[in-house]
Amino acid sequence: MTVESPQLAVQRVPIARGAVGAWLRANLAALLVLPILVFLGCFLVAPYVDMLVMSFRNPSTTSVFAPGYTIGNYTKALSDPYYLGVLAKTIAFGVVTTAICAVIAYPVAYHLARTRSRFKGLLYVGVLSPLLVGVVVRCYGWIILLANNGLINNAVKKLGLAPHGLPLMYNALGVGVGLVHVFLPFMILPILSAIQGIDPALEEAAQSLGASRTRTMFRIVVPLSLPGIQAGSILVFALTISAYVIPILLGALKVKIMPTLVIQLLIDAFLWPFGAALAFILAASGAAIIYLFIRVTGRWMKGMA
Amino acid sequence: MTTLTISGLTKRFGELTAVDDISLDIADGELVSLLGPSGCGKTTTLRAIAGFVQPDAGAILFDGVDITALAPERRDIGMVFQNYALFPHMTVRQNLRFGLEMRRVGQKEMAERIGKVLEIVQLAGLEERYPRQLSGGQQQRVALARGLVIEPRVLLLDEPLANLDAKLREEMRFFIRSLQKRVGITTVYVTHDQAEAMVISDRIVVMFDGRIRQVGDATAIYSRPATREVADFIGLSNFIDGRVTARTDDDRYTVETPLGAVQCRSAVALAVGSPATIVVRPESIKLSRAPSTESGVNSIAGKVRDRFYLGNIAGYRVACADGAIIQVQEEPWHASAVSDEVWCLFTSDLAWIIRR
Repeated sequence: MTVESPQLAVQRVPIARGAVGAWLRANLAALLVLPILVFLGCFLVAPYVDMLVMSFRNPSTTSVFAPGYTIGNYTKALSDPYYLGVLAKTIAFGVVTTAICAVIAYPVAYHLARTRSRFKGLLYVGVLSPLLVGVVVRCYGWIILLANNGLINNAVKKLGLAPHGLPLMYNALGVGVGLVHVFLPFMILPILSAIQGIDPALEEAAQSLGASRTRTMFRIVVPLSLPGIQAGSILVFALTISAYVIPILLGALKVKIMPTLVIQLLIDAFLWPFGAALAFILAASGAAIIYLFIRVTGRWMKGMA
Repeated sequence: MTTLTISGLTKRFGELTAVDDISLDIADGELVSLLGPSGCGKTTTLRAIAGFVQPDAGAILFDGVDITALAPERRDIGMVFQNYALFPHMTVRQNLRFGLEMRRVGQKEMAERIGKVLEIVQLAGLEERYPRQLSGGQQQRVALARGLVIEPRVLLLDEPLANLDAKLREEMRFFIRSLQKRVGITTVYVTHDQAEAMVISDRIVVMFDGRIRQVGDATAIYSRPATREVADFIGLSNFIDGRVTARTDDDRYTVETPLGAVQCRSAVALAVGSPATIVVRPESIKLSRAPSTESGVNSIAGKVRDRFYLGNIAGYRVACADGAIIQVQEEPWHASAVSDEVWCLFTSDLAWIIRR
């Protein structure tokens, strides 16, 4: 009787036999990506292509679009100061929200990365809490606080600090508060993970060389966590310039930004080709800004592996 | 130039007392090693000197001035970390500049000092490299240079050679030793490697369980260990338990043991009748066919159980009365074979009583 070696036993269990089996084994990794590719193809690429085609259609007052193609939608959007203004305002909103998020998120992320508190788990829940509540409910909460007859304004009026109340909602302030609140976790988490990757000995080394806590922060920790800041900024910027629900609920169309304008054109004015063109202009501008941002920050991160 | 004094230093982490009432004086320009197994408190002591650990009791003094309350960045120390802690986003030059910038050193002097220190650590020409583009040994020397370029009062090294391969580690011992002598800087060196401590240090501080067990140069630590732990940690040892029966001279005693009466010495005075443990190093023992007739030489009878050959030595394990095993390191050509009846000979000068 012969005893088989364990190695032989392993070789006896191939995925499949013959030429098909060999092909399967060689392309297993590619095959595993297939489902998500199909999904994205159906529900992302196809609609986008459809919208891209739509943005070159001729406008019509009686149906979705008229026969024939034109670049008129783009020339109209790019030559009208009104639309360019809304685009600029949208991007400014994105930049400012991103900057505020970064400034607020950094200390939180640093603390979370370095704390040895027993309540670390609880702190994580706190950070993620904006994502645990539905967007409408969360905005309703903000409305209770910020509305003209909301909690803050009632208190302010009662105390006689401002007899007519403060304009906290239906303006850029209200929308900004809502956006910063919900997008904060998208900034905190990448920065947190970047800081966790920084050896605490580096901070001690800087201190031993004579650097104060503040200098250690700005010369060592912040530069080394740039990849996290970069990732978080891209996320928050992209999410902000495409945000719709929060601007609608907290700005009520008084804050004119691209997503609300596009929906107005599509649903209310029924100008599908022109709305599609505006949507594409927004997407392209956002992509261009993110690309530039990556180039610039990439130069700062030159020395890092 | 700086003397370093540690006085009654104590640090507790919850239930654990990491450092327990340590006092130590380090002279100007001296290199002192803190040696001990992991968890013995040597690193905590070093970090307290650096200021990263705030002690629960005790003080640290530079030149007699208490600096215990001073933040690390105000202590003027140079520190080399086990994993080097080089700033990965800075070139070698930027790493070296960092400490000088914090001290607001002028551009010209900066360039001079960096040039000088890079020459000392033999890294000239690598100024524009990033740490990850350097070998482990080169990174180690950059870390040294970064600590030295600021001309600190005290240099602290935390297992600086632990991450290097064996051959480079031995080379670097001599490099650090000669570098420290050349610069003449007061240095505290933490290591768990006894050979490293013996090669590098002026004095060795052996620590166990947060306490200092012995302070002395390599010779003292090795040939006259203060406790069984110290003897066990540094080199191989034979321990023979017994009871003092006579004091024959100032520091000479006779101890009655299961293996017979042993003449030995003690660094501390002992009363007749007190228990004693004798430590004898394996290389202090010679094997012989007959007991010695010389006075002051101990002879213990036994039978060779194992013999092994290591090229530079022949090792023996000799079974003696009471089942005790005595380890012996003989010359490699020594011919006693397994099962031979032998006598283990060692002079009373090389048998020391340790505290129990």
